[in-house]
Amino acid sequence: MKNNKAGGTGAVFRYTVQQHYKTTSVRVLLLILFVLAVASLPLLRMVMDKDSEVSSSDITTVYLFNDTGFEITADDIRSDERYAEVEVKACDGDKDAMRETLHNETKAVAAFITADDSGMGFNIQGYYGEGSDISENDCETLNHVLQDGLHQSIMRTLNVSQDQIDTMNLSVMSQVNTVENYLSGNEKTVDASTHMSVNLFYSYAIVMISAIAMSYIFQQCMEEKVSKLVESLLVSVSPSSLLTGKILAVTLFVFGGIGIVAAGLVISYIIAKSTGDVGFVKRAVEAFVGVNVSALHFSVGTILLLVGCVLLAYAIIAFFCGIVGSCCSKTEDTQQASIAVVMFLLIGYFVASFTPMAQSDAVNYFVSLFPITSIFTALPNFVCGKIPLVIFILALVLQAATVFLFAKLAGAVYRMMLLYRGGFPKPAQLIRMLRENRSAAHTDAGKEG
Amino acid sequence: MSFTVTDLFKKYGDKVVVDHLSFRMDGPGVYALLGTNGAGKTTSIRMILNMLVKDGGTVEWNGAPLTLQNCNVGYLAEERGLYPKNTLMDQLMYFATLRGVSRSDAKKRIEYWAERLEATEYLYPKQEGRKPVKPKKADQLSKGNQQKIQLMLSLLSDPELLILDEPLSGLDPVNTDLFKGIIHEEIEKGKYLIMSSHQMATIEEFCTDLTILSRSKTVLQGNLADIKKSYGRINLFIKAEQNLRPYIEAAGITVMNEVGFSYQCRVTGETQANGLLKTLVEQNIPLITFELREPSLHEIFVEKVGEVHEE
Repeated sequence: MKNNKAGGTGAVFRYTVQQHYKTTSVRVLLLILFVLAVASLPLLRMVMDKDSEVSSSDITTVYLFNDTGFEITADDIRSDERYAEVEVKACDGDKDAMRETLHNETKAVAAFITADDSGMGFNIQGYYGEGSDISENDCETLNHVLQDGLHQSIMRTLNVSQDQIDTMNLSVMSQVNTVENYLSGNEKTVDASTHMSVNLFYSYAIVMISAIAMSYIFQQCMEEKVSKLVESLLVSVSPSSLLTGKILAVTLFVFGGIGIVAAGLVISYIIAKSTGDVGFVKRAVEAFVGVNVSALHFSVGTILLLVGCVLLAYAIIAFFCGIVGSCCSKTEDTQQASIAVVMFLLIGYFVASFTPMAQSDAVNYFVSLFPITSIFTALPNFVCGKIPLVIFILALVLQAATVFLFAKLAGAVYRMMLLYRGGFPKPAQLIRMLRENRSAAHTDAGKEG
Repeated sequence: MSFTVTDLFKKYGDKVVVDHLSFRMDGPGVYALLGTNGAGKTTSIRMILNMLVKDGGTVEWNGAPLTLQNCNVGYLAEERGLYPKNTLMDQLMYFATLRGVSRSDAKKRIEYWAERLEATEYLYPKQEGRKPVKPKKADQLSKGNQQKIQLMLSLLSDPELLILDEPLSGLDPVNTDLFKGIIHEEIEKGKYLIMSSHQMATIEEFCTDLTILSRSKTVLQGNLADIKKSYGRINLFIKAEQNLRPYIEAAGITVMNEVGFSYQCRVTGETQANGLLKTLVEQNIPLITFELREPSLHEIFVEKVGEVHEE
């Protein structure tokens, strides 16, 4: 019975996965994440509903004190259909008297509109009684209506017509294009702000996934060294199979965790949909990412592309972590190893953050093709129309080549450093050791081959 | 089957750590690699097993370069350990899988070795009272018992070539005998064993051929019996009931050690020893012991390594 080198990767993968999921803390953590994911959307709805405007009002009377000099009429308030039936009564701004009135009238509210002391604006304060039938959201919604009414009043006072107000409120989309793009019909449709938001969000996601993977990979790279098992293992499995099996296992930990959360979110969405409108999800995503989701034209293809790109980015960073993690002999070394990986991630992250500001095709092409920045920028640049399909495909090919190169290098470093017990090597020292090892390996292969 | 190491060479920077080591095993048995600390034994073993890249030399099994594919190797490393938080059974099954042993075979072999190494209670813990049975983890075992599991890991694949680096270090006398018994069994099964140890008496008990390394160089090599024969019987042990020193000195024999009326002497050969015996008999001196012996491996080792250190 000879050693099974080819099957080693699979055996290492299975064992690493089995041991990881056997740990109680891991199972508890995954369960907590799943429960939180399932509960997230119903909870989000509760929070957003709390802050949202009411669709119909219970208010019958509004006591209005307006000290701004800009008249707000009952019609201004009744123009909103939710308050079409309210009775508007003027009051003198005496809060003590108003407290008694609101105590007796449970469907009445008071609104005091005053000029700000600094002269920079206005204050609208809404009040309802302690035993009132009126909800806080209802009162908040009335405040928004009064705010609009005050603006209208200011415009009227300044003799601005409704048409002029509507014109002023029109949204503006800014875009810069070359004449060539205009003539060829390749005009950009996504503005710099959306481009930056997409870049930032995508880069942030890559950094987060990488940060989780980093600690797992360091731990896996050192495990045999620390437990002094490495020599016993090396007569059973090759170092590259050992490392590949471990990195694949970490991939499952990371994406398995993400998958569990995603499954929880799907269940959460189904629960939320069965109990009401789910429009708040889109609003929440837009508020979080800072872009109009509809403008990005998400489809099944886009999602598959996203998964593929994230996996490529992950593979590059995972094998880089493998190279750096292989140089660790003891727990203290992980501090230096982490700095190396964080530097690697920060370069990509900052480039992804700042390149949209440059608004330059040359910059977009370069950062999309250079593998270290490409994993952060190629997909957002393509989705936002900053690079053509051919450049995007070339970027993916270069990323795949980098994965292959890093995997080979990680295998060589892992093999070389498995029996190394010194301090964390400096880059120059590591390169020298690799050269010496490579030259000896060539001599060895030449003699035996 | 044959195992051949030719001109094995390794250096780190300018420091040579293994200087053209060569040896050969044409049949089953135990080959001993001896040497002081840092002489290059473990580095040689690591190169033999392709864990370290060789700067020169070849290692062949049946005439072909030794690889993990063409030779079933078992290795008990000097620096040994186990995954501390994983169960023993999981670790044994993992190693068996890595070596291509089927699950059912692995279970049988683990059961056999657990019984043979008296480790059944750790691998198959029995229920005590109402507490559920929890499989033992490595960090719950003493060093000696962990060593039993480590030996099991190296034997699970039923290796053709077994390399044992300091196999008995850290063991109590009971476990030492247990390990020795297993080594004897492996020899009887026709296995090729390479053993490295500082315990000369242990090596002497098993090995047929040896290499002594000192400061990376081979200082002595060959068949142990032949080596001893070449030294001749030069160790003389005498025990009497009276002071023999005047007679010993008169015969020109050097006393190496003296305790009471027991003497450990170094003679130039059998003639010198016989001359002393004749004198003592003629003087009617009663003798308890008069024994002429070959030098022990320990003495040969100290002498050879000492020579290199004096150079």
